[in-house]
Amino acid sequence: MISQYIVNGLLTGGLYACLAVGFSLVWGVLNVVNMLHGSMVVLGAYFCLYGVQQLGLPLYAVAPVACVILFVFGYAIQRGLLNRVITQPILITLTLTFGLDLIVNNLIIHVFSATPQSLVTNFGTIEFAGVRVPVVRVGGMLVAVVLTLVLYWLLRHSKIGRAIIAVRMDRHAAALMGIRIPHIYALTFGIGAFMAGAAGCAMALIYPVTPMMSGVFLGKAFVICVLGGLGSVPGAIIGGLVLGVVEGLGTLTLGQQWATSVGFIMMMAVIVLFPTGIMGKKGYE
Amino acid sequence: MKTTTSIIAALSFAALSAAPVLAQETIKLGAPLALTGPLADAGAKSKQGYDICVSAVNDKGGVDVGGKKMKLELVEYDYQSETNRAVQIVQRLINVDKVPFLLSPYGSGDTKATAVVAERYGVPMVAAAAATKSVFDQKFQNLFGVLFPNDMITEAEVAYYKKHVPSVKRVAVLALNSLFPKAIAGEMVKSATGAGLDVVFNTTYSPDTSDFSNVLTQIKGLNPDWIYATGYTQDLILIRRQMADLGLEVKVLTMTAGPSYPEFKENVKSLAENVTTNSWWHQNANYSDNYLFGSSLKYNEAFNAKFKRDATYLEAAATAACQTLAMAIEEAKSTSADAVRKVLHEKTFNTFYGPIHYGQLGQNEVNAALVMQIQNDKLLVLAPENLKQGELQIGVPKK
Repeated sequence: MISQYIVNGLLTGGLYACLAVGFSLVWGVLNVVNMLHGSMVVLGAYFCLYGVQQLGLPLYAVAPVACVILFVFGYAIQRGLLNRVITQPILITLTLTFGLDLIVNNLIIHVFSATPQSLVTNFGTIEFAGVRVPVVRVGGMLVAVVLTLVLYWLLRHSKIGRAIIAVRMDRHAAALMGIRIPHIYALTFGIGAFMAGAAGCAMALIYPVTPMMSGVFLGKAFVICVLGGLGSVPGAIIGGLVLGVVEGLGTLTLGQQWATSVGFIMMMAVIVLFPTGIMGKKGYE
Repeated sequence: MKTTTSIIAALSFAALSAAPVLAQETIKLGAPLALTGPLADAGAKSKQGYDICVSAVNDKGGVDVGGKKMKLELVEYDYQSETNRAVQIVQRLINVDKVPFLLSPYGSGDTKATAVVAERYGVPMVAAAAATKSVFDQKFQNLFGVLFPNDMITEAEVAYYKKHVPSVKRVAVLALNSLFPKAIAGEMVKSATGAGLDVVFNTTYSPDTSDFSNVLTQIKGLNPDWIYATGYTQDLILIRRQMADLGLEVKVLTMTAGPSYPEFKENVKSLAENVTTNSWWHQNANYSDNYLFGSSLKYNEAFNAKFKRDATYLEAAATAACQTLAMAIEEAKSTSADAVRKVLHEKTFNTFYGPIHYGQLGQNEVNAALVMQIQNDKLLVLAPENLKQGELQIGVPKK
């Protein structure tokens, strides 16, 4: 039975990782606690739902479009609004994204309604040694992890990725090297939004989507970000998996009502004992 | 230019002079609504229920107050699903908007919090979505609830399944940690234990739970015959899906109150089959209503024409809350709170929702609990016998 709990935790953790990676990147690079992130995940989910259910398109065609729309949205938000206050104390950008979150979330309610909606699929389950693994969850987790790894590779090996890391390390030095800081900021926020869109599409396969999920998603992203280390892409994967498994074991030992609290207690312990998080020590890539 | 200014001035004067007259012609009903936030879906349904009542009353000329026809006016604010905001809004409705009557916010918790304000100011408040006894046992004189108490529902369910599935012995209860789900789960445990069933699992989950696979793995290990889950519809959808993922099979699966809403079926498709639920109302009960809609079925027809879907107990209860207020005002022949409150306590209102008698405690005392099940994509009434539309199907599909 314990193996079932661990598998449950890993499957959930994989989704958590995808959820958190964009949030972590934006916080790590821009020093912006993006309160809008949860609503962007929900927006991505609704775009996928709309494309599949209303337009009759296959998910593999809709998901990339949803991600690109989110990227453009994120880029515009950063370029048009956040860049204007980016040098202000973190509370200013936090408040601004909080306000944007309220607006976007209410718009989602008005456009898509608050009634739960989901992509109903039936890919079956795999059973191995008494452990049941739903295929859709494995698929969702794999897509999430692969995308996260691709992002990690791009940050380390592409020109833009190196520029993002350079800006995070020393904004002024990067500017002197000819890097266009406002563009890199907007690009980073756009990538964060792109990843939120991808997470949203994966969530639409698994969860009944409602606009109110944004708060839950944001809370999870926050915990994972602190666990894994700010701005660390592999940290988001590790943090997500750890949170998923710890919540599972928390249910087993303390009961379902304490499962979420266990994650937050762990976050507080990490802040006190390892302020850089599990993977946050080496850098911001 | 001078002429235009004169016309504008004259029109403004006319409008200003007319305003008090118009205000006297309407009866304001204050409605704090959860239009955004976690309860937005339920809030929107409540609003539909209120809207259809107000338009139906006004279409027939309004409320007859001692021979004078007065139209209803809904004064609504979004309390964003936040209890504190609901309390502030009720204060505003009473002190600024001067509403003489209130409709409560959604759910037992928010109703209980706002009822304190209504009681302090002596403004009658009718609750459409609060069934928990602890909301009504405070001996408030101004709080009235359309939904009869939770235990009437759980007693009816336990009696029905004990009779029709005698092999059901072991029950697992899972509830959202919120006032109503916890209360009905508590009543379920009491009813089941009282009937000699073994409650093998009883726990709550927090409102920000995003995964039920672990708790369902725990339940699976206990091999229950009957799972009773209660919470938000989106939670119940996820629970049903994850039950299938984990191969968790039971003889009876009861969910409160998600399966009453069409979105439950839409989100789980074939997994909705044989899921049982309960309800305070269904159009097939077909109660007659001489005041407004004619009957339950006619109410549903009117609702369907306006909103393009069937009404659930939630919208119907909202309409009934508004309707009983209108009926009480007519009976009292006055809009005075004292006169209307007296009628609300004493009269039995025969509505499309069924007979409603608020009594001295304020909560509807007329038990009309329905046991229901989804069969072939339709929500059928299993009990009571006189409304029965089908026989219980035992077991739920694996996938």
